[in-house]
Amino acid sequence: MAVKNRKIKCKYFLKGVPASPGIAISKVFKLKGESIRIDPTILKDSSVDDEVEKFVKAVERSKSELKSLQSKVAHRVGQENAKIFDVHQLLLEDSVIIEETINAITKENRSAEFAFYNVMQKYEDTLNGSTADHFQNRTSDLRDVKRRVIRHIQGDRTDHLNQLSGSAVIVTNDLTPSDAVMLDRRKVFGFATDLGGRTSHAAIMARSMEVPAVVGLRRVFALVQEGDRIIIDGSEGKVLVQPDEKTIKHYRQLQEKYYDTNRKLEEVRNLKSLTLDGKEIELSANLEFTDEVESVKSHGAKGVGLYRTDYIYLAKKELPTEEEQFQEYRKIVKKIAPDSVIIRTMDLGGDKLPESFLIPPQENPFLGWRAIRISLARKDIFNTQLRAILRVGAVGNVKILLPMISGLDEIHECKKLIESAKSELQKEGIKYDPNIEIGAIIEVPSAALLADRIAREVDFLSIGTNDLVQYLLAVDRGNERIAYLYQHLHPAVLRMIKQIIVAGHQEGVWVGMCGEMASDPLATLILIGMDLDEFSVSPIAVPEIKKMIRSTEYREAARIAKKVLQFERPSEVERFMTKIVRKKFKDLI
Amino acid sequence: MVKKIVQIKNKLGLHARPALLFVNTAAKFEADVYLGRDDHEVNGKSIMGVMMLAAEMGSKLTITVKGLDEKKAIKALIELIENKFNEE
Repeated sequence: MAVKNRKIKCKYFLKGVPASPGIAISKVFKLKGESIRIDPTILKDSSVDDEVEKFVKAVERSKSELKSLQSKVAHRVGQENAKIFDVHQLLLEDSVIIEETINAITKENRSAEFAFYNVMQKYEDTLNGSTADHFQNRTSDLRDVKRRVIRHIQGDRTDHLNQLSGSAVIVTNDLTPSDAVMLDRRKVFGFATDLGGRTSHAAIMARSMEVPAVVGLRRVFALVQEGDRIIIDGSEGKVLVQPDEKTIKHYRQLQEKYYDTNRKLEEVRNLKSLTLDGKEIELSANLEFTDEVESVKSHGAKGVGLYRTDYIYLAKKELPTEEEQFQEYRKIVKKIAPDSVIIRTMDLGGDKLPESFLIPPQENPFLGWRAIRISLARKDIFNTQLRAILRVGAVGNVKILLPMISGLDEIHECKKLIESAKSELQKEGIKYDPNIEIGAIIEVPSAALLADRIAREVDFLSIGTNDLVQYLLAVDRGNERIAYLYQHLHPAVLRMIKQIIVAGHQEGVWVGMCGEMASDPLATLILIGMDLDEFSVSPIAVPEIKKMIRSTEYREAARIAKKVLQFERPSEVERFMTKIVRKKFKDLI
Repeated sequence: MVKKIVQIKNKLGLHARPALLFVNTAAKFEADVYLGRDDHEVNGKSIMGVMMLAAEMGSKLTITVKGLDEKKAIKALIELIENKFNEE
């Protein structure tokens, strides 16, 4: 499977589970893990006692090895991470395993390694049959113990990792906890494994040691040769075997960038998003998939300003049930707590509708049956989602956000449906948040013009610039011929945004922004100056925007916003802002 | 004999580390400890047994304790589960 595309050229390209972020570029060191040879011969009765003794001694040796391993590990990566070896120690003291093995030796005349292997395998299979992913991952503990004891039965005392001379990427079938912690950080640049998931020990250890890792690659061990050139992208879950020089160069740049971003992150992660003169601006993150939830916190965002729930409807053919939605939302809400999560109700229909909605393609989908229009027509689907959101409101801090609102009738209708979902839950005795806050996305020009009236009906407004710009300027941004007309720095767009913010504040509600404009550095100062209360941007953009907020005076931003609103053309705004931003934030652009 | 049904509350369930804590706590008492899930019961002092229950978050387990210090033992074990094994 040789791969050629613009930037990537290599012998094999594999995708796995990103287990620990970062990029490693190095040579392959193949760590042979599971290649245990088991002797199946039946023993003579006379040698059975010797075999039992061999087994008991191997267990004793394993236990003392574990003891010294544990103190090394505790020293290197902390007491908490070393606890796993207590589990191994206790497993070797478990009478069940010992007795079953001795029984198989004495009653079936099996060799010690055969007997022990089979006993351990039986338990491993049981755990593998378990449904939860992290229990399957935990079989690596059993494999680790199995391997250690069998190594001692066979009289092999060498630690494979000691054979590692130069620096390398460890490629193995499955990295056991003992392998993972014995990695010498100075020599090991990363690892790639066939088995394992994000919660496997290997992944957890790798993250705590800050070694990049990709797991669950299925067949990387079989494909690579000792000494092959290899690139591991632990952030994206990619592995490239035998890349060419150009690819290596490309990845060196990515590696630099990764270090750079990390440094930036470190600097501002725990700082507040305050302007120099002390105005606090909420900086939250947009969330599209469950796995992004970790990066919301690690990038220093305060809560989720826009949780797009559409993926739940696209994941499978049938419509998602209330319980499925509740469980999914709950995972996210609990992770973000105590900060708030703003859940946007279904916003499908713009490009493609899942089969479960049973409608033919539309002539003009962006002006068609989409988002709240579907929800109000298919009240069954909407009710299911509202119930799930209301329920998760009882678990943490949750707000509802309604997309594609174009007038007041839709707001009234939605509020009525929310109230009836509440009384259903009340009657059924199910916990929910009776005071859940409701917000409207302002993304249709008619709603923008009526923002003051809509604000009276809701608790907050969120400006959705992606669609607002497209509808206001009548530009399909997917159409390449006219894409140049899609400009969020257009004076008409800026005027409209200003008007929405003023209208919201006049009616006493806060106003946020969840479109791409919120993460454009050229727009940041203007928006601060227009009194926008909240920016919701993609997690990666958070540190940059936070830095800009922190190095700006609100008074200055207000002056800039005022000035910009007098311009007539987008190009004037852009030129003016580029000059200011270049001067003020040299290192950012 | 004392008996109590408990629900696992920590996110990762009764995986290796919580199993270790459970077994170590059970071992501090004279009484025999059994842990059951559905119709399957294991020795609460055997780590392999406890791990094999593969009890994920939300699963219901029956703790049965028999012996002189059974009241103290069951109290300590329930507390451990209620405190989510100090994991969260």
